[in-house]
Amino acid sequence: MVQSAKAVPPIWCPGCGDFGVLAAVKRAAADLKIPTHELVLVGGIGCSGSIHNFLEINGLHALHGRLLAQAVGVKLANPALTVVAAGGDGDGYAIGMGHFMHAFKKNASILYIVMNNETYGLTKGQASPTSQIGFEGNVEPPFRPILTALSIPAPNFIARTFSGDPKGMTAILEEALRFNREGRGFAFVEDLSPCVTYNDTYKLWREKVLDVSKLPDYDPTDRKTMFRLCYEVLEQGRIPIGVMHRPKEAAREGLEAKLLGEKLGPARTDIELAPNLTGYQKLIAGLA
Amino acid sequence: MTTPASRTVPLTESPTPGEAPPALELADLSVMIGGQGGDGTLTVSDLLGRYFLKRGLYVYTSRNVLSRIRGGHADASVRASREPVAAVKPQVDVLVAFDNEAVEMGTAELADHGFIIYDSTTFHVDRPNAAGFPFATQVGGPLGQPIFKNTAAYGALSVLLGFDVEMTRAVIQERFQRRGGEALEKNLKALEIGRKAALEAAGVANRYSVASGDARDQILTTGNQAVAMGFVVGGGRFFAGYPITPATEIMEYLQRYLPSFSGVVRQAEDELAAINMIIGAAYAGTRVMTSTSGPGLSLMTEGIGHAATAEIPIVVADCQRVGPSTGQPTRNEQSDLSHLAHLGHGEYPRFIISPSTPSDCFELTVEALNLAERWRVPVILLLDQALCQNTVSSDRFDLSRVRVDRGKRLSGETVAALQQYKVYEITEDGVSAVAPPGTPGVWSEVTGNEHDEWGHVSVNPVNRVRQMKKRMEKMVKARDELPPARLFGPANAKIGLVGFGGTSGPIVEAMHLLESRGVPTRYFQARTVYPVPAHELDPFLASVDVAYVVEHNYTGQFARLIRGALPWHHAKLRSILKYDGYSFRAPQIIAGIPEVA
Repeated sequence: MVQSAKAVPPIWCPGCGDFGVLAAVKRAAADLKIPTHELVLVGGIGCSGSIHNFLEINGLHALHGRLLAQAVGVKLANPALTVVAAGGDGDGYAIGMGHFMHAFKKNASILYIVMNNETYGLTKGQASPTSQIGFEGNVEPPFRPILTALSIPAPNFIARTFSGDPKGMTAILEEALRFNREGRGFAFVEDLSPCVTYNDTYKLWREKVLDVSKLPDYDPTDRKTMFRLCYEVLEQGRIPIGVMHRPKEAAREGLEAKLLGEKLGPARTDIELAPNLTGYQKLIAGLA
Repeated sequence: MTTPASRTVPLTESPTPGEAPPALELADLSVMIGGQGGDGTLTVSDLLGRYFLKRGLYVYTSRNVLSRIRGGHADASVRASREPVAAVKPQVDVLVAFDNEAVEMGTAELADHGFIIYDSTTFHVDRPNAAGFPFATQVGGPLGQPIFKNTAAYGALSVLLGFDVEMTRAVIQERFQRRGGEALEKNLKALEIGRKAALEAAGVANRYSVASGDARDQILTTGNQAVAMGFVVGGGRFFAGYPITPATEIMEYLQRYLPSFSGVVRQAEDELAAINMIIGAAYAGTRVMTSTSGPGLSLMTEGIGHAATAEIPIVVADCQRVGPSTGQPTRNEQSDLSHLAHLGHGEYPRFIISPSTPSDCFELTVEALNLAERWRVPVILLLDQALCQNTVSSDRFDLSRVRVDRGKRLSGETVAALQQYKVYEITEDGVSAVAPPGTPGVWSEVTGNEHDEWGHVSVNPVNRVRQMKKRMEKMVKARDELPPARLFGPANAKIGLVGFGGTSGPIVEAMHLLESRGVPTRYFQARTVYPVPAHELDPFLASVDVAYVVEHNYTGQFARLIRGALPWHHAKLRSILKYDGYSFRAPQIIAGIPEVA
């Protein structure tokens, strides 16, 4: 057995919500029997973005805000890989907002986990795009990622989990990964992951979270209903968690499937001259 | 008889009725076509280029358009010569004008023997050696639309220049057959309308004759097309970009070419996404490229630094245009060089290579892909608007010289023989052997943070120094593998010229002009511009008394880089600079050399 990079101990503060995500990712990957060498975790910048260092898998530590673009590149190059992008709320909703919105449209079959703690932890507690009004002098209303996600008409998987509920989180991550591995498209899972040092919301969130699947009208295949339900839950001062969207049809709608069909993908294509020569000659002859 | 609305101004030497004037034979001809955007000037230039190519001539066409689709002055020029040419001819022999502005702009450059053909529908030209035909009206009636006036003008030109009728028609067929029967039929009719009008006008037919040449097996292409071809043939299989003038055609060509080779092309939401998508695909083991121009390059700078530190092999084609900011999107400049040489915050290696012709673009794009993967260093393909977009007759791209060198890439078999798989292992040449994710039995940590050999984030000062040296020394160790310069002119010449990219055409032409005046010069065409090829430049500069660095920018960016690398040659270096958006013409270079001017 060749020795590859060993996992290093997490750098997170004891009690950090990100530990829950780490455990759930490990568990989900094991349950789905994803081979280590086929799993790629693209990390963002910030506390949460270091998660790949604590796992023995392929880790790609991206630039701040750019992890989704890199993750899509990985997936389109080799669709056989299981690709997870993971970062924080500052990374995804502030500097990476453009890529975040477009990830839904692109619908490449990757899983994006945002560990939302409503603050910038690594730079010591500034307000983030999801911070409540009043937090560290914040006067801007918090961004609502689930409602935004629901507003984009693409066959994505959309869910929210809570680090205080590891079992529920594992089940949702497993479903999301299965969704990806079936080539169905983009899976977005926001995890409510409290920052015990700068914004300890465990107690508050435990009281506020509300599993939308318990609501009478719950239908995650119906965007309109789910938008209304989530909106109403928020208006009640609660935080909706659970699966918010799951396309009705189990079709291979992933971008990689649309572009490549059954082909192995650019990374696994033979690029030597000999097997391609006839095609190249034809291409050049077309220049007449 | 001409149609009633047409007007032909008497020629300086009026031909005797019934007798053709003596034709002036031209071995190096320049036709300028000007009008409003949408008048179809580029189509006329394309038609002429195709005709001259069929006659065995070397062709160079350039365009001068505004960054808008309709309206505003636009012109194009076509040069045809028995000798290879890669520059705009200083003088215009024939001007085709669709508006008065084209006449005003073109007359300044018109040769003494020059002639003007113009569309007299809305204006007329009051000077000798001009013939007006109301092309728009002439085609508008029978064909229903005035837009075919450009093809009618091509018809009139074919008469003026004594073109072979069948060949003239064949060009129309070649150009329009893809668009379908109606377009082809109408253009053929427009051609006849233009021809008839010119044949009926006094003193137009066969005013000039164009020599035929012996250029064989040439294709008409652009640098952008050559880069796209080179990318495919060099094994590039993933491209992401964002539309930007003058780089967009590279993406458009690849959208056509790549899918049949299992490649993927994505138009990203911005340049940040484009560069990061190719980084992800390269990390996954694909040969990748993006193309952009100044404003996009600014955004991509962040990603290029990441790729360099993470040692992910990428190629970035920079089609330079006039900067800074939005600058002049459609105009030519070489002013990104300083930025590229010092790209990004922090310090990291990069190779900047600079082709000068389409066939060089083809060759160096393949080489850029090899260098990036072999050295795991970002490679910048330095282009400029003239090189990217001007159409040139070129040798057919040569597949026999293409090689794919994947460097130290590991496969499942080779990786299994290892004890340890360290993605940033310190090695003699500074390059670590890397297996793409998905290779059974191994995994890795890849990061833009400073890292140890395993890819773990590290702040250890000893490790920092080792990894910095590993990366930075690649610029020295790769020296002999970087594209070598090309030298032109006799070794004993005492006046030196130094340039890169699209200036090569006018520089070589200036050399020929000087040679004919008995002044030998020697030209160093850099094909690697960074790291500065000091080992090649040092003996060159030692061999001349003075060296003029010719470049399209204000501050003499390449000259400054050379001075930094070879300070002992400081006193010999002079600059010939042009930053008005137009490409050099040979006499402008000569004018910059006081010894001969």
